[in-house]
Amino acid sequence: MEQFEPVIVAFCCHYCAYTAADTAGSQRLSYPVGVKIVRVPCTGKVDAKHLLTAFEKGADGVLVAGCLVGDCHFKDGNVKAARRVEFTKKYLEEIGIEAERLEMVRMSAGMGREFAETATAITEKIRALGPSPVKGKNCCCGKAA
Amino acid sequence: MQKKTKLQSNGSVLVVGGGLGGIRAALDLAEARKDVILVDKAPCIGGLMTQLDRTFPTNNCDLCTVAPFTAKDSRGGHLDMRGLTTVTAVKGKEGNFTVSLMTAPRFVNVEKCTACGECQRKYPECVSFAPGLDPRAPTCMRYPKATPYAYVIDMAKCADKEGLKQCCPVGAIETDALPKVEEAQCGSIILAAGAALFDPSHLDYFGYAAQPDVVTSLEYERILSASGPTGGKLLRPSNGQPPKKVAWIQCVGSRGLQKGAGAYCSSACCMFALKEAMVTRERFDSEIETTIFYMDMRAFGKDYEKYLNRAKEQYGVRLVHSRPHDVLRPVGMDKLQILYTVDEAPKHITEEFDMVVLSTGFKMNEDVKKLAEDLAVELYADGFPKTDCFNAVATSVPGVYVCGTLQGGKDIPETMTQASAASCLAGAKVAVTPRPKAELPAVTPECAGSPRVGVLVTLCDHESTALDTTALVEYAKSIPHVVCAAAFEAACDPSSFDAVKAAILANGVNRVVVAGSSPRYELEKYQAMLAPVGINKYLIEVANIREQAAWVHAGEPAAANAKAKQLVAMAVAGVMAAKPLADHVVPANKNALVVGGGVTGMTAALELAGQGAKVCLVEKTAELGGVARNLVKTIEGGDVQALIADLVEKTTSHPNIKVFTATEIVDHSGQVGLFRTGLSVNGAYKEIEHGATILATGATPNQPQAFLLGENSRVCTQLDLQKVVNEQPKEVKKWKNVVMIQCVGSRDADNPNCSRLCCQSSIKNALAILKENPNARIFVLYRDLRTYGRFEEYYQKARELGVIFVRYSVDNPPKVEAAGHYANVTFTDVIMGRQVVVSADCVGLSTGFVASRKSNEALAKVFGLPLTDDGYFAEMHVKLRPVDMDKAGFFVAGCAHSPKVIAENLTQARAAASRAMTVLANDTLVQEAKFAHVDRARCAACLVCVRACPFDVPQITVDDKGLGRSYIDPVKCHGCGTCAAECPAKAIQLNQFEDVQILSSLDQLLAKVNA
Repeated sequence: MEQFEPVIVAFCCHYCAYTAADTAGSQRLSYPVGVKIVRVPCTGKVDAKHLLTAFEKGADGVLVAGCLVGDCHFKDGNVKAARRVEFTKKYLEEIGIEAERLEMVRMSAGMGREFAETATAITEKIRALGPSPVKGKNCCCGKAA
Repeated sequence: MQKKTKLQSNGSVLVVGGGLGGIRAALDLAEARKDVILVDKAPCIGGLMTQLDRTFPTNNCDLCTVAPFTAKDSRGGHLDMRGLTTVTAVKGKEGNFTVSLMTAPRFVNVEKCTACGECQRKYPECVSFAPGLDPRAPTCMRYPKATPYAYVIDMAKCADKEGLKQCCPVGAIETDALPKVEEAQCGSIILAAGAALFDPSHLDYFGYAAQPDVVTSLEYERILSASGPTGGKLLRPSNGQPPKKVAWIQCVGSRGLQKGAGAYCSSACCMFALKEAMVTRERFDSEIETTIFYMDMRAFGKDYEKYLNRAKEQYGVRLVHSRPHDVLRPVGMDKLQILYTVDEAPKHITEEFDMVVLSTGFKMNEDVKKLAEDLAVELYADGFPKTDCFNAVATSVPGVYVCGTLQGGKDIPETMTQASAASCLAGAKVAVTPRPKAELPAVTPECAGSPRVGVLVTLCDHESTALDTTALVEYAKSIPHVVCAAAFEAACDPSSFDAVKAAILANGVNRVVVAGSSPRYELEKYQAMLAPVGINKYLIEVANIREQAAWVHAGEPAAANAKAKQLVAMAVAGVMAAKPLADHVVPANKNALVVGGGVTGMTAALELAGQGAKVCLVEKTAELGGVARNLVKTIEGGDVQALIADLVEKTTSHPNIKVFTATEIVDHSGQVGLFRTGLSVNGAYKEIEHGATILATGATPNQPQAFLLGENSRVCTQLDLQKVVNEQPKEVKKWKNVVMIQCVGSRDADNPNCSRLCCQSSIKNALAILKENPNARIFVLYRDLRTYGRFEEYYQKARELGVIFVRYSVDNPPKVEAAGHYANVTFTDVIMGRQVVVSADCVGLSTGFVASRKSNEALAKVFGLPLTDDGYFAEMHVKLRPVDMDKAGFFVAGCAHSPKVIAENLTQARAAASRAMTVLANDTLVQEAKFAHVDRARCAACLVCVRACPFDVPQITVDDKGLGRSYIDPVKCHGCGTCAAECPAKAIQLNQFEDVQILSSLDQLLAKVNA
């Protein structure tokens, strides 16, 4: 059987995680191909609606990647994002989606290696959980685009 | 028979040389609204860098981050660029030079030439090209997409003029073209014409002339390059087979080692060799053994030590401390033999290699030397220009400045810094040229129209080996609403943008997706390039297929290609949902804030003030002068105390400079051109407004707990030692033995980088001690002696005077013990193979510098700036933007960037001032449309946004119907989008990141999951 390749949406803050992903690229540090980045100006911009839509449309996992605590370009957007992620996790549990599929991580712009490692670790975790229950049994789950 | 015209450009700067340094200098001046003429004798710009495959420490090319800005319409008409042009005569003096320029004919009409290559196929001998190795392959342009994109004919080699003329299908060849001679007036001149490389042909013991598999480092670079003679395959020139073992021999033509070599160190070759070895293993075959034979591994630049460690640890590059004496190929053998000895074993070693790369250094270019002589610039015996010991870019002739490798061997970041410094000084002498202000393009509903998307795939071949760009273009064409898609491989070439613009106009494109590198590099560039053809800057989306696909998934081409397609589809979806937006123009503040009152900060402030900016200079301590107050003299003999006194006098008396001592930065807000910063002046709060900020906060002399420092009176730092030599010469006269230990508290686990300045400072002190006391025995215990550039000559002088240099390994460091009146230093002499104990009267520790971590972290937090892992301020691009910071309007100079000697700090101060002037020269600034807006019909005035905003921007205002609704002031909004995310009614949207844009991208991202 072909290995399940999870699709993971990574909302990345322009000032830190997005740049960290660029750093990973320039250092040629590989991470799983199922991790797809959506650039946002600050993780504070990531709406609970966006997180849920990602799951609704079939993402197996969602990552919110913001700045280290105290380093937010906009003071505390990352703190507000973390609060929203916690809230959304509870909501996911209520509707029968494992809360572990959603995660908030923090890094600085120079942490390319950490980005690649985080992306890999989360993919492995989701792989172990299996395809998102949202996808249902009859669709072509398990195959990444 | 020559045509002679006179250019009407009084008050301009002439920049000679269109390499990276020349481009940077010219761009700085043009951006500060000063007229520039940029000439290069080559037909296209780019200089030496265009022949490199990749550059350290990023291991990519990145030319496209600078070159496109030389495009004619991109810098307000201030920049006049001329290829094939030389300076034939110069008259006059500073402020009023008259220069004669001769433009050689290229015998090809650039307007007509389509670069089809027909002339090269039929008359290969007539088509000019001259980089390393096989000059004919694969195109006859200097690099694949040269600027301008056209061939050059060498008429002297042409026997059949008529036939050549006829072979061109578009009639672009003009065999009778004549050189054009012009005269131009200019206020100052910047020489940026680069250097030549040492030619090792006469060194028969290296076999370069006889053995095809012995190549220079530049030739090796051409072999690695995708645009090189082997099409990017690493093959031995002798037999076309891939090599299994490659060796580099360092210091060929440098450090006075061979006949004809300069006495200086060329400064860049160690990093160059490390890069080539790493790229060899990374890109071609990790089984290829790479060995570098070196004398001292000189990785002294910012974060270069880490690069060296990566080469050793991650890439397995082998480093051998040795100077090979012969490279041979015995008859009948197809391999080369290197003969060498090592320190530990006094015997000859013979080792076989498939290829040998000679790391050839820089030397003065004869043409440039002649021009310098014509200008009466004083030169060293080796031909490089003499420069002031506190001003590395000023020559002996007022108004004539130098930068880059023309001033002495160096790498790209230092070249870029010097180029900006030279433009600072040259630009100070010429007036700002007023130009009619370009109107912002109007934003009308038509600019969005019915969506017609154009997709540009802009990756170069060598960046995208994993990606099939042709398939990507075909895929892009299949996406609904995409009306044209094309691969655009010349993103480094300003003139090639014309073709892009034509395609956009021809297809009625109104939205553009750029599939290339990160939007952090691409977005601003394409916004600027495409504005003239009416593309609204907010209707451009970037698909980051380089960092997010080609590079991270290089090992899995199928997955990389699939991901690249998806990223393009996401970007198309995003740009379809985007709205055209209007920037607005606001008056800009033309004052500057300089943080740090050391020599760097004072120099930057004076340069800015001299160009008319009002400057606030903020110093944390009660006194100006910084760490330099502890210094007596530079190694060249420059009087540091006199320098400080002069700077303090000028700074404190300058009408444009306000000095605040005992002052800290407490808060900060705003954006480039409109900053507000709160100061605590002796405890009292004061707010200032400024348009640009220079950070010159220095670094801290390191005081590591090692070798009894602080415990034994005989042990001191080099800074203390210098003071003792200066203040207590009687004491110094009594010394019998002095030991200096290098790399104390640098290049270790706690402080991994090299402090750069310690090697020269120990030699400076050794020479000063010998001057007082010629009988003193001085030992310098070192790991790698990093006397780069002309410091090498002082190292040689110290050796001649009897200073004993002993290498120690990091596993076997020296020991220092108290021994009554003396300090006993025990170390192993590798060459003698035994331990030595010296009873030292003085032990000088080269303790270097560490970042002022605590204060840097505090400042970084207030200003919102990134730091490096070591705690220094991080620049925007380590290679090409060394003084700019990620946040627009912020610049860094001096030891706050990384440790360096005074002259280098002052150069960086001038460079930062030059970059800051590109901001401060503007009366107005364009404010980007990145703010949140409220749909008042949906707003319930619930106050969530008011509470959520980190900057207290939203306010409840009453509209004409008497209803209270949230209002967000576009000028005050920082654009983080927190309010939009929190608003329960979704009444708030953030421009550029509206929900519909994010959700459309998400839809695309997940489309195939549900397909």
